[in-house]
Amino acid sequence: MTQAIAVATAVGNGPAFSAYMGSNAAFTSGTTTKVTLDTEVFDTANCFSSSRFTPNVAGYYQINGKIRVTGTGCTASVNIYKNGAQNIIGTYVTPTGSVVFSTVSTVLYLNGSTDYVELFGYGDTTVGSPTFQFIAVGNTCEMSGCLLRAA
Amino acid sequence: MTLLEKIKSIYPELTNMDFSPFGTIVLQNDSDGKGDYIAKWEHPTLARPTDEELA
Repeated sequence: MTQAIAVATAVGNGPAFSAYMGSNAAFTSGTTTKVTLDTEVFDTANCFSSSRFTPNVAGYYQINGKIRVTGTGCTASVNIYKNGAQNIIGTYVTPTGSVVFSTVSTVLYLNGSTDYVELFGYGDTTVGSPTFQFIAVGNTCEMSGCLLRAA
Repeated sequence: MTLLEKIKSIYPELTNMDFSPFGTIVLQNDSDGKGDYIAKWEHPTLARPTDEELA
């Protein structure tokens, strides 16, 4: 019973964050590019820095990501990277106009010390370069996450 | 000329799908000022271009 309460407390007070990209950023067509998430909405355990979430509690984390990409004939796909390597590929969106959104959601184990996650986006345009686009809070590129279950 | 354009000039048979997240080649930029690079090359028949070819 004590252990169950302790685990529940750890999860209830576990790291959680939300951050978004606060300005436009062009990138090279056909290239998977790290999204600079320069604005924090919240970061309960100070585990988010330099567009990277490195939680200090080991466990299973819900991680969500979204990119908004604009460009002529643009396709796009968001990616969650774990420890610098592609881990989960999000929806692959083909052009219906000049703006596309791609989303991803997953549960990852993170070891609470060295493991980290980052948001990457792929875009491919028929003309010119794609752009990660900021319109407003909630209408841009963003990533969020929280501890679901301590290890 | 971008890295993608250089590679496609060497291998015109490659399409954009080869570079998509579901393709066999991943070009990556870590937004650290170091530019684009080949993060993965798993094409079944075409060899990874050398640095000299991409220069």
